[in-house]
Amino acid sequence: MGKNHQVALTRKGSTALMRPTEPAESFVTPIADVYETSEAFIVKLDLPGAAKDSININVEENRLSVKCAVQLVREGTPKLLFGEIRSKTYYREFVLGEGIDHYKTGASFDTGVLTITLPKSESMKAREIPIK
Amino acid sequence: MSLIRWNPTRELSTWPSDFFGVQREINRLFDNFFRGGMQDDGSYGLSYWTPAVDIAEHDDAYVVKVELPGVNRDDVKITMESNVLTIRGEKKEEKDVKKDDFHRMERMYGSFQRSFTLPSTVSNEKIDAVYKDGILSITLPKAEEAKPKQIEVKVK
Repeated sequence: MGKNHQVALTRKGSTALMRPTEPAESFVTPIADVYETSEAFIVKLDLPGAAKDSININVEENRLSVKCAVQLVREGTPKLLFGEIRSKTYYREFVLGEGIDHYKTGASFDTGVLTITLPKSESMKAREIPIK
Repeated sequence: MSLIRWNPTRELSTWPSDFFGVQREINRLFDNFFRGGMQDDGSYGLSYWTPAVDIAEHDDAYVVKVELPGVNRDDVKITMESNVLTIRGEKKEEKDVKKDDFHRMERMYGSFQRSFTLPSTVSNEKIDAVYKDGILSITLPKAEEAKPKQIEVKVK
């Protein structure tokens, strides 16, 4: 794989996925990792306490959005000694660049971490060009 | 040219000639202290890895909840020594991804530890811990002598 080619792809990808936009309501922005492999862009979001079925992932045109309400349940009316965790709604949006095959977006949820896979379209994938 | 070790308090000692140095230093301390702030590079997240905790005291037990997304349950260790509950562990980095391939890296990796002194005695052998969807829930039943007792006082 040509090194220059790789750098060009990384640059294109970085502007593609970097900008989270602020929604109007007050949401909690979940922290995220974004990285790319030769096949896809991977977005990992920390959503501790989320139930798998309550996570809403939406891909529309060039936007990927994730929304999820998390309820902290305390049984009865206990005395609170430490209250750093709250019920909240997580929301985050990413602007997607060209070269992502939206229809093949996949997601999995494990140990409170949501992993979204955005496969690169054929034109975006690095190809080795043979020299004749 | 020689290298001089950076001394974080030097900027403070030049007061008042370097007021902005003091301000910078205070800002740095605040930034390091408070979790969840905006980082210098514009990313969100924790400046160090301290999981958030919720501790509720019920009549018969304490319920401790810890946010530990992405942590392998085998990498978490819970210990109870006299009245001090310690939760320690490690969140491991993804080995197969190179640093260069990251566009955004906000999630924290590495080891963490938090300790709490509980107000009353806990019956150690009945402590129960469950890890689900990134939340560790520990139930610590109170020892018999620590439970609230109702004593009827007869009015003569």
